[in-house]
Amino acid sequence: MLSSVPHTDTVIVADLEAGIGTLTRLPEQAVEHTLVIVEPTPRSIDVGKRAVQVATERAQGNITVVANKVADDEDNERVRSAFAEFKVVTVPTDPVVIKADRQGVSPVDIDAEAPAVAAIGKLVNLLG
Amino acid sequence: MIRIAFAGKGGSGKSSISGTFARLLARTDRPVLAVDSDPLPGMAYSLGIPVDDRPAPDDVVVEGPEGGPRWVLRPGLDAGGFIDQYAEAGPDGVRYLQFGNSWGHWSTLQRGQHAWSQVVKEMDPNAWNVVGDLPGGTRQAMFGWAKYADVLAIVAEPTPKSIQVAKRLRNITKADWSPDHVVVVANRVSGPEDVRRISDALERPVIGAVPDDPAVTAADKQAVAPLNGGAGPFVDAVAELVTQVESTYDLDIRSSD
Repeated sequence: MLSSVPHTDTVIVADLEAGIGTLTRLPEQAVEHTLVIVEPTPRSIDVGKRAVQVATERAQGNITVVANKVADDEDNERVRSAFAEFKVVTVPTDPVVIKADRQGVSPVDIDAEAPAVAAIGKLVNLLG
Repeated sequence: MIRIAFAGKGGSGKSSISGTFARLLARTDRPVLAVDSDPLPGMAYSLGIPVDDRPAPDDVVVEGPEGGPRWVLRPGLDAGGFIDQYAEAGPDGVRYLQFGNSWGHWSTLQRGQHAWSQVVKEMDPNAWNVVGDLPGGTRQAMFGWAKYADVLAIVAEPTPKSIQVAKRLRNITKADWSPDHVVVVANRVSGPEDVRRISDALERPVIGAVPDDPAVTAADKQAVAPLNGGAGPFVDAVAELVTQVESTYDLDIRSSD
């Protein structure tokens, strides 16, 4: 389906399943950007490294690591040091995201100025 | 013997709960085998076993018979022998079995998966209490990867996304394979309202309510098991869950035998 969508005017944002399964099955060069979402835990960083490896091997565009649920400088540094060769964008832990999850709504619709939403806005600009 | 598998949405807390459950069950002087069928395994962290990728060697299997499984345990090696030799020894006497990590080569992972499946299918049901951790989502549960279990514990957070996955897992009772009992564990709850929300949505009682405990998050960040990281309320809740599951066996499974 993805390969049949015209690339000209449509921006496609795909949310892949957890892990690396879909990434291993995507055709090479299927996307222009790969965002690898990583939490500041050893397990999440392990999976993120594997995702980066697969995305690199399969030429899945520019790779950016998104450090999510970052509570402090130590969290930030843990992710940045693990992905030193990559651009890392930080999204802070934000009660607005937790509230949105619980309500089943978008964080943007609760507070467009919330720190996590603002950080994702910067990420959009970075890719744009 | 208790045989339970934990399933739920990715990130719902299955690994933290199942690993802690296994250790607390082992502290009641029971032999416990923890089995992890996630190709990106996380249960080892919550058990406190420093093993990320520990597949059995390739030569534990040989090519299977025509029309049968692709790989089978080599002659002379049975499920009990496999566990003795290759299940990792962990804290509180828990033994831990994974089939490897998809970091490794795919063919190694395939061999490991076949060996793992044969071992959990053929092991002596009277030798081990089994605590399983499935990958996030519904796929493995629906395809019968938890056939070793007679209790499927669905872990749900009080969010629409988590509850939606839990509802799909609940439908396992309509699948070709179904466990004897499907129970619900509410995780990261802030109070009775969250528990009620999950219970109402799934139309099933919640047998374990696990609070949102910052110590678990801190333990995750340090790659420390919740039991070793001072996670008090979380551990207390999982201990209560062990008791509840034991009583499920006493009241339901034993009486249905």
